[in-house]
Amino acid sequence: MNDITQQRLLETFVKLADTLIDDYDVVDLLQFLVDTCRDVLDTTAAGILLADARGDLEVVASTSEASRLVEMMQLSAEEGPCIDSFRSGQRVSVPDIETSKDEWSQFRGSALAQGFRSMDALPLRLRDATIGTLNLLRSAPGAAPEESISAAQAFADVATIGILHERTLRESAILSEQLQAALNSRIIIEQAKGVVSHTRGVSIDEAFTLMREYARSHSMGLSIVAARLVDRSLRL
Amino acid sequence: MSESFDEAMDTLEREADEPERYCEAFLSVFPIEGAAVSTIGQVLGSETLAASDPIAARLDELQFDLGEGPCWDAMRSAYPVLVPIIRSTGPSRWPAFTESVVRDGVSSVFAFPLAVGPLRFGAVDLYSAEPTSLSDEQTEQAGVMAEVVSRHVLRRALTSIGVDEDEAVSAYSRRLVHQASGVVLAQIDVSADDARLVIQGQAFASSRPMMDVAQDILDGRLRFTRVGSRIEVAE
Repeated sequence: MNDITQQRLLETFVKLADTLIDDYDVVDLLQFLVDTCRDVLDTTAAGILLADARGDLEVVASTSEASRLVEMMQLSAEEGPCIDSFRSGQRVSVPDIETSKDEWSQFRGSALAQGFRSMDALPLRLRDATIGTLNLLRSAPGAAPEESISAAQAFADVATIGILHERTLRESAILSEQLQAALNSRIIIEQAKGVVSHTRGVSIDEAFTLMREYARSHSMGLSIVAARLVDRSLRL
Repeated sequence: MSESFDEAMDTLEREADEPERYCEAFLSVFPIEGAAVSTIGQVLGSETLAASDPIAARLDELQFDLGEGPCWDAMRSAYPVLVPIIRSTGPSRWPAFTESVVRDGVSSVFAFPLAVGPLRFGAVDLYSAEPTSLSDEQTEQAGVMAEVVSRHVLRRALTSIGVDEDEAVSAYSRRLVHQASGVVLAQIDVSADDARLVIQGQAFASSRPMMDVAQDILDGRLRFTRVGSRIEVAE
């Protein structure tokens, strides 16, 4: 890890600490984390998946909203590194996707078709429970540098803390409510993408970019912007 | 009047699973004697879900059997059909129906469509033995109440036939359905929940998975438009 990377990692953790002591939007936080994985770690694309009440994993943040990427991560959550990491609570490294397990054929086909050659899935852990995974995809085959993985696991832990809030860690009822709240924010963001896609005549991916730009330039949380687009009190 | 309308709306929202209460809500607001709620036609079949009295039930049964009447017209046009004096306007439009209801002593009939999005599947039928009429405001209020009833009726019908949109559907396709709901709510200016119900209803009516309908909406192959109070679908 070179000095510039170290400097950026430090800046990232400072920003995360600042975020967590203030009021924050959990979807924004998760988005920031996956973007940081892409920009700072040796990663082509990244995504965070959370488990809903039934234990199904859903993508809540990814570096690109391109539907093929999201779909591939969902496939990985059915038969792939993502679900294995979620079930075991352990890191699952796939240095060469091409020679990965036979059972992962759907995931493998989709990942290779998009030019991904290696992947790591890291658990979002809370004590004994795993609430989701952080997925790192790279276009080159081979194992990721150990420092990158350590940093990514720290990001995953920050994401867990961000979702659950430290003060409610002991109450499992609230824990699942907060997980559900994070997933519900994502539903509203998807609906808002549809709204903007229609009103602006753009693709779903472009709609998301417009929403993020608006949220950033108005210093508003992405979830708030999405909710206001859906209840039509805000027009983009 | 507006107070009883608000109360009636509360009752309707609360009593989604009690079709009998739908009729009471209409009776509490409008100068009528009886009310009935029925599905008609192919989408959900012809069935009386609730009737406040035997005459109200008979009005709907007659229309099922005869294939004519204010309920059919309201459903097909998606507009209210107001007949304050059935004796004068009825015979030319619905000869068999009019003859029969006049014999039962009915003077006025008002029918409001049951529709969700472009899907039209029934009507609320109101009647009075004494000749009466509805003001513009009352007509509008009855239309709004019928919209609430429409959503309840469609939700209940979809649930009863086991259409559960979340079962056996992947997280990825749920995401597409949420995005399509956003498109639909922007197209026809309804809530996100209603937009979802429109997609669900469309899927049911065309015997397709919700995911396929959602994909068509996202690709612009299926569009919903509002024409006055009606919602139409274009492919």
